[in-house]
Amino acid sequence: MASKYGGYMGKVLKIDLTSRQVSEYPFSDEDRELYIGGKTMAAKILGDHMTGKEKAFSEDNLLVVTTGPMTGSGAPSSSRFNISTLSPQTGYITSSNCGGHFGYYLKKAGLDALILTGRCDKPTWIEIQNEKVIFHDAGDIWGMKTGETQKALDDKLRMKNGRVRKNGKICIGPAGENLVLYSCIVSNERVSGRGGTGAVMGWMRLKAVCASGNKEVPVHDKEKMVKHTRKWFRYLREHPLTGNQLPRLGTAGLVSAMQMKHILSTKNYTYGQFDEFEKVSGEELAEKYNIVNKGCLTCPIRCARTVEVNGQQVKGPELETLVLLGGGILNDNLESILKWNYELDELGMDTISCANTISYAMEANEKGLWDNGLKFSETAELSQIFEDIAFRRGIGDELALGSKRLSEKYGGKEFAIHAKGMELAAYEPRRAAGLGLGYATSNRGGCHLNGGYLVILEGLGLSMNQTTYHGKADLTMLFQDLMEMISAAGQCLFTSYAFFPAPLMKHPNAWYTRLINKVLPYSGAVVRIINKYPEIACFHLPVFHHTKGFEYTTGMKMTFGNYIRCGERGYNLEREINRRFGVNANKDALPKRLTQSLQDPDDPDSRVPLEKMKKVYYHARGWNRDGLPTERTLRKLKILQDTRRSE
Amino acid sequence: MVRVKIFGTARLKAGVGTFERDVKNVDELLDVIPNLTRKEAKDLVLLVNGKPAGRRYRFRDGDEVVLLAPAGGG
Ligand code: SF4
Repeated sequence: MASKYGGYMGKVLKIDLTSRQVSEYPFSDEDRELYIGGKTMAAKILGDHMTGKEKAFSEDNLLVVTTGPMTGSGAPSSSRFNISTLSPQTGYITSSNCGGHFGYYLKKAGLDALILTGRCDKPTWIEIQNEKVIFHDAGDIWGMKTGETQKALDDKLRMKNGRVRKNGKICIGPAGENLVLYSCIVSNERVSGRGGTGAVMGWMRLKAVCASGNKEVPVHDKEKMVKHTRKWFRYLREHPLTGNQLPRLGTAGLVSAMQMKHILSTKNYTYGQFDEFEKVSGEELAEKYNIVNKGCLTCPIRCARTVEVNGQQVKGPELETLVLLGGGILNDNLESILKWNYELDELGMDTISCANTISYAMEANEKGLWDNGLKFSETAELSQIFEDIAFRRGIGDELALGSKRLSEKYGGKEFAIHAKGMELAAYEPRRAAGLGLGYATSNRGGCHLNGGYLVILEGLGLSMNQTTYHGKADLTMLFQDLMEMISAAGQCLFTSYAFFPAPLMKHPNAWYTRLINKVLPYSGAVVRIINKYPEIACFHLPVFHHTKGFEYTTGMKMTFGNYIRCGERGYNLEREINRRFGVNANKDALPKRLTQSLQDPDDPDSRVPLEKMKKVYYHARGWNRDGLPTERTLRKLKILQDTRRSE
Repeated sequence: MVRVKIFGTARLKAGVGTFERDVKNVDELLDVIPNLTRKEAKDLVLLVNGKPAGRRYRFRDGDEVVLLAPAGGG
């Protein structure tokens, strides 16, 4: 439905893969005001379809690919798009914010979102050109790895003059085709990594979607937006995190800081420090292997690395991969990680879940629970194991299920490091209690970003008390909602780091930074007021350019308070859908290793005080004791779903 | 003699990851970090033998000193 707002192309297409029927899906301006775009728009669409009885691998599931109004607007780091679906890994809604070119080109093709449902009768790829949808046989590319697939698709999109039509793609590799539960969807070198979106696409027998077109993204107030964007770019370039650390060291630059703060997951989260961390650090990567920095479209941060593997220039590993395939399995060989990172992307598998599944299997073997041949620090066979997982051969067939299911079969639930079935990221939460709460409550499972990324206050950017539970619940809610909205708008979450005023990051020893570190645990009451009555923040924050950018792009009135409220709506909507699939307080859990075993036997606080934080968190969110949004909360947020529930 | 390790972007600037210096206290150390001005060095977080240390810390022979900049984003 056409929109009066800028930033939107005004059309959402629903494609039934079974019948090959293509129809326009109604998404009105009222919907846009409430559900914005990206993961929240996807949640609205999923929520309108899902009753709680659907299965991930069934014709009732939907794969919803959405952009946000900022996607393609020219704002910093705004080439992002989102993929949401019912996850085969968790059984709940998963969402994944991805870079690459697809979001931009989907909008060039005239679409805000794509809803895919049903199942093709044979391997298929879809071409979308200026709203026109063409189905193609994918028999010849089925089985190909992701790099080869994308090259083959470019060949198919070659025009008469020999040039490849400019396009954006999403595709799966063998892991998705073979329904590895943590397989991903790849777009250029970027990955929609988490929650098994690739397996859903594989089940649909859909190998790829390519989008192209020549439409322009409308911007409400172009003149103001151009000026504001210039300022915003400059701000990001001058900020110590987005202008220095991320461009120079990438996400990998965090390894050494995590080591110092005891939050570097080591040996399947047994420890928070790895003796050999320097060999697998961001500094080592930058000094010995980095060739050039890369970035998504319109991104001044350019956090991606290009490294050389076997004479070929490929994408370098992110922090998660570096840590989990480094110290996580007691491996100090950086070159091997570069190679595996490339191989996993080519096979189309989430490196986080895959690495954690391997480290669970190593520990299960070490403890005599499962004789699988995998041992910590013995990594010669890992490339072969990854292939076996992707093609579901031998032991790989079992590893493809992830650590939760394996621990149910072989035991060792206390060291199967997942939340809701999704493996945790690389930050060891026993020294970052707030992140522990975030992992446990995140709608998509053990994700640091969807969990609010409080670790940035707990030892990385700032130095708030790491293990206290004070203040953590309210701050977690605030950051979860903030990130939710940035994602919904179609921007990269990394732009949020500039939210922390530069002087705090530049001068960690200054009196004001030390004061803020001390005061943060006592900030709960103040943060609670902002969380509860965001409308009092009826202004733009000078350090947070997103609200003005959103206003100039769309023409919708946006303040910092509105922005948080929209994020809160998205978070609650996903939770409400997850309720239909059985989520409750018991599912907001972490393995016992993290909540009951001390990381440091001499420090009684070195574990996640989860239950204490959950109580405060539920209260702050307006959820009942069972961790479910009350009808009052849903009404307040104008989530107009039929909740079918009495409190 | 103390052993100093630098991490993060400061290490790229210093051009060296590890070095040894004969310094008695933090004040002296701030003046001897390669390619970093005293002002820049003052903005690094200091850990001695794995524990956060203040500006008044007096080094003992064999101390391992870590200097790193705040970081975020992963
Ligand atoms: S910060 Fe990194 S991931 Fe985010 S848009 Fe820029 S290059 Fe892409």
